[in-house]
Amino acid sequence: MKSDNKSKRFLFLAIWLLIIAIIIVGIVAFWPPGAKHETIKETMQDGVLHEHNRISLFGLEVNPALISAYIVTAVLLIAAALIRIFAIPKFKLIPGKFQSIIEKLVEFFSDMANNNSHHKPKFIGAYIFGAGVYIFFSTIFELFGIQAVTTDGASISLPAPISDINAAIALGVLSYAIILGAGIRFGGLRGALGVLKDFSLPISMSFRLFGALLSGLLVTELVYYYVGLSFVLPVIVAVLFTLLHALIQTYVLATLVSIFYGEAVEPKPKKVKVKKKEVI
Amino acid sequence: MDIPLNIDILQILLHMLNFVILAGGLSFLLYKPVNRFLEQRREHFAQIEKENKEATEENERLRAEYEQKLKSAEEEILEQKKAAEKELANASAKYIGEAKERAASIILAAEREAEDRKEHILESAQTEIGELVVAATQKLLSDTVTPERNSALYDEFIRVAEDTVAESRKKHDRKSV
Repeated sequence: MKSDNKSKRFLFLAIWLLIIAIIIVGIVAFWPPGAKHETIKETMQDGVLHEHNRISLFGLEVNPALISAYIVTAVLLIAAALIRIFAIPKFKLIPGKFQSIIEKLVEFFSDMANNNSHHKPKFIGAYIFGAGVYIFFSTIFELFGIQAVTTDGASISLPAPISDINAAIALGVLSYAIILGAGIRFGGLRGALGVLKDFSLPISMSFRLFGALLSGLLVTELVYYYVGLSFVLPVIVAVLFTLLHALIQTYVLATLVSIFYGEAVEPKPKKVKVKKKEVI
Repeated sequence: MDIPLNIDILQILLHMLNFVILAGGLSFLLYKPVNRFLEQRREHFAQIEKENKEATEENERLRAEYEQKLKSAEEEILEQKKAAEKELANASAKYIGEAKERAASIILAAEREAEDRKEHILESAQTEIGELVVAATQKLLSDTVTPERNSALYDEFIRVAEDTVAESRKKHDRKSV
């Protein structure tokens, strides 16, 4: 009886809060937008192309995503160095929580490399580990909303590095170059040709990454543009378009690179020359 | 060169440099050390498993060996027991035979001795009777001969003779026993 009453009370409370939330969201959604420096078109265009809001890097005007990339890299390297110095020497045979997380992370990419590339999986394991960690953390980087000052003097929130097409192209081309290099190293000319026939790979890799991140960015920009939508919705949007994207894109790129690498380094069977039958 | 979509070769290269540094750093600082640790742990557990397997095999071998030894020891004990029983049976049969022979010889010797003694006693009794007869005759001859006296003498002679014979028999029986 007691538990029945308790659950009924909770249900009533939940419905009551939901109704209040829906009403608030409705009110806020119809609230007139405040004064904006940019139109929504400009915001979207800048989100895609980064043509206007630029940041100075040692006198060179670059996209804000490059600054984001450097910050992500610096943070990750410092964290990795701290883990290497303080945590790894204390690793135990029966791992604790933190050790388990680190081990799982490494094992995930190591296993992926071993499964998809049976020959020489060590190098590609390290590469996809780096790429995966970079994509994941650079995607969730935008959630922190680190501020930077543009060359125009405006303050902007630093975007995810991969939302810049240049970063996506860099990663795609680098991955393709590594696959091509492995093809030449282990397969010679035939291996190189085998990789070269997938010439669309760097483009597809780059634009898949860019498109996936960009879609999330655009939706987030759209949501943040209107003050009215900035209350409950960003939590859902952030989770859907940032965290899930981060995980999915990490998995997709790591899998693709390891599969193509595995294919490139796979020893090719020698062709057996068949003598032409003499025509009688 | 003006590339659409704000694609900038310099920035691509800067991103590449950034990523190469990051990938190399992460590989050096995290991926390789953790992988090495995982490998060492895998080897450690594989070693333990191998040792356990070897110990189990050794135990199994020792158990089989022990069982075999136990079995052969039991067989040996059984054989020895049989041999001992046989030996015991032979020895007891031998002792019993010897004892029987000895008993028979003792009985035979005793019977012979008893016979000899009997003969000896009878001989000595006869001698004593003769002596008594002679003594009685002498007494008779020396004393006055009357019918009553004669009768009394005969009675006394018979009683003394009977007593002597009975005593001799008693002596003989006691010796035989």
